[in-house]
Amino acid sequence: MTAAAPPLTVLICDDDARIREALRDVINAQPDLTVVALAADADQAVALAARQHPDVAIIDVRMPGGGAATAREVRDQSPDTRILAFSAHHDNGAIREMEQAGALDYVVKGAPIRDIVSAVRRVGSAESPDDPADQ
Amino acid sequence: MTSNSPSSPSPGSDTSGQPPDEILRLLERNIRDYAIFMLDPDGHVMTWNAAAERIKGYSAEEIIGQHFSTFYLPEDLAVGRPEHNLQTAVREGRVEDEGWRVRRDGSRFWANVVITALYDERRQLRGFGKVTRDMTERRRAEQALRESEERFRLLVQDVTDYAIFMLDATGHVISWNAGAERIKGYSAQEITGRHFAVFYPREDVAAGRPEHNLETAMREGRVEDEGWRLRQDGSRFWANVVITALYDDRRRLRGFGKVTRDMTERREAERNLSDRRRLLAHLVRAQEAERRRIAWDVHDDSIQEMAAVGMRLQLLAEQLSEPQAGQLGELGDRVNDAVNRLRNLVTRLRPPGIDRQSLAAALSDYLAETGADWGVKSTVENKLVTEPPPESAVTIFRICQEALTNVRKHAQAKAVTIRLSPQGSGVLTQVIDDGMGIEEPSDLRPGPDHFGVIEMRERAETVGGWWTMARRAEGGTVVEFWIPAPSGESPIRAGDW
Repeated sequence: MTAAAPPLTVLICDDDARIREALRDVINAQPDLTVVALAADADQAVALAARQHPDVAIIDVRMPGGGAATAREVRDQSPDTRILAFSAHHDNGAIREMEQAGALDYVVKGAPIRDIVSAVRRVGSAESPDDPADQ
Repeated sequence: MTSNSPSSPSPGSDTSGQPPDEILRLLERNIRDYAIFMLDPDGHVMTWNAAAERIKGYSAEEIIGQHFSTFYLPEDLAVGRPEHNLQTAVREGRVEDEGWRVRRDGSRFWANVVITALYDERRQLRGFGKVTRDMTERRRAEQALRESEERFRLLVQDVTDYAIFMLDATGHVISWNAGAERIKGYSAQEITGRHFAVFYPREDVAAGRPEHNLETAMREGRVEDEGWRLRQDGSRFWANVVITALYDDRRRLRGFGKVTRDMTERREAERNLSDRRRLLAHLVRAQEAERRRIAWDVHDDSIQEMAAVGMRLQLLAEQLSEPQAGQLGELGDRVNDAVNRLRNLVTRLRPPGIDRQSLAAALSDYLAETGADWGVKSTVENKLVTEPPPESAVTIFRICQEALTNVRKHAQAKAVTIRLSPQGSGVLTQVIDDGMGIEEPSDLRPGPDHFGVIEMRERAETVGGWWTMARRAEGGTVVEFWIPAPSGESPIRAGDW
């Protein structure tokens, strides 16, 4: 990690304010990561992504408007944004849908925060994802 | 035209009309079934043949010259039967008699006897020809047949569970049994001679159903019908009816056999059963809805809250120094563990994806997720062509869950396979493991339900299916169950989940 590199910008999208804010504080505590926007639903997420073009969008799998649809629209508006799915339980069907929508990885809520931040770094430094339509 | 060989004249060449004596003697010697002999005008035996010896036991020397009354029973002698027979033969030319006769050894046989008076050209009585046949066997057979028919008649007569009766060719009642009286209420006198249409409700008579049934029976041999029928008092019962057309040897219709069974109770039992099933299905639905609601509550609130708290505790721990850092870190770990347990609870309460994906996919996910923890190779073989309705799918999933819990806890298996296949109007599911196998049948005995046997079986039986668990010959255990999957029901898909 070089000090000169600018921090990865992160958009957090979760309808639960407690999660949203705790996650913001966890990420902002990392010197190489910075939260640039918080969204509580799909519309907010898409609008914020269009304006901020964050490096990473953490999107709750289960949220108003649907996690997968949100991921897809965020990538429409901000093609360089990488998606990290965030989920409260193992729902492989939902996780597959997120993958198809372009999510590169997923973490479960309740995972140790070091796992969460390393997933953000991993996704943020990954190659720009292929267009899911080409997969 | 073929020329006759001169050395062997054809039998037809004898034009005298009289067979040679030699042939007659041959005939007489070889007739085994008829004792043929002659009596003089007073009734003494004059001739004897081989069959007579065989049937009656006397040799010719012993019997010739004896009076033929020797063959009669004492009680027949007492009423003068031998003399009476001869007198009748004299008067009428011949007499036929049937009755017990005595052999030389005193044993009896049932004889058919024909005595013919023999006159010469001058109308002088020269004696009697007597032909006796041993009918004992035939009589026994006839009697056996008669008894068997009688028994059968009594059986039919006394059967009370079925109305068994006959119709003539035009549909009028000609016989009646106890069951018919019990089921339909008419006595034999009341119903005999009446047309069987009286058993049908008015709407069926108007629709020509009685005639239609008879026509079908005539055309196809038999007809089976089920529907309401009337008792004598006008009340209705639900009847299963079989009408069989009865033809004689010359394919002439002689009438119809009719067997009617009162199915009212069974029909009601079936209806009650389906009412009970409906109720239980409703219960299962309500239970699943309740579980889903709890799962959502836990998912949307408890997990979020605790996950957030867990993150904050860990964050705080990073910002503090020891020993507080370690203590907070440990608290954070415990909260995360609790979140994981809640996550498993949610999964158990509401199988993820069962509403949205196929049953097989939901099972695959469940296996992938749980099987990974205990290091078992898991496979789902899906032969289903159509998806079972959600309620059936949930029941199948639940039983699989329970069976897999057993495999995990008890089987020490290396591999487990779930096989789904269509069978009849439902789904046959097999959960097969290669573990140590249950110690049947002790493990299936009633008692502490440590294998969840009762729960699995009740789940299956509640929805009208069956469940069984067995040790496999090749090792391991197979849990096998069948769940009806009615396709007619409108699927109730849950919302976004």
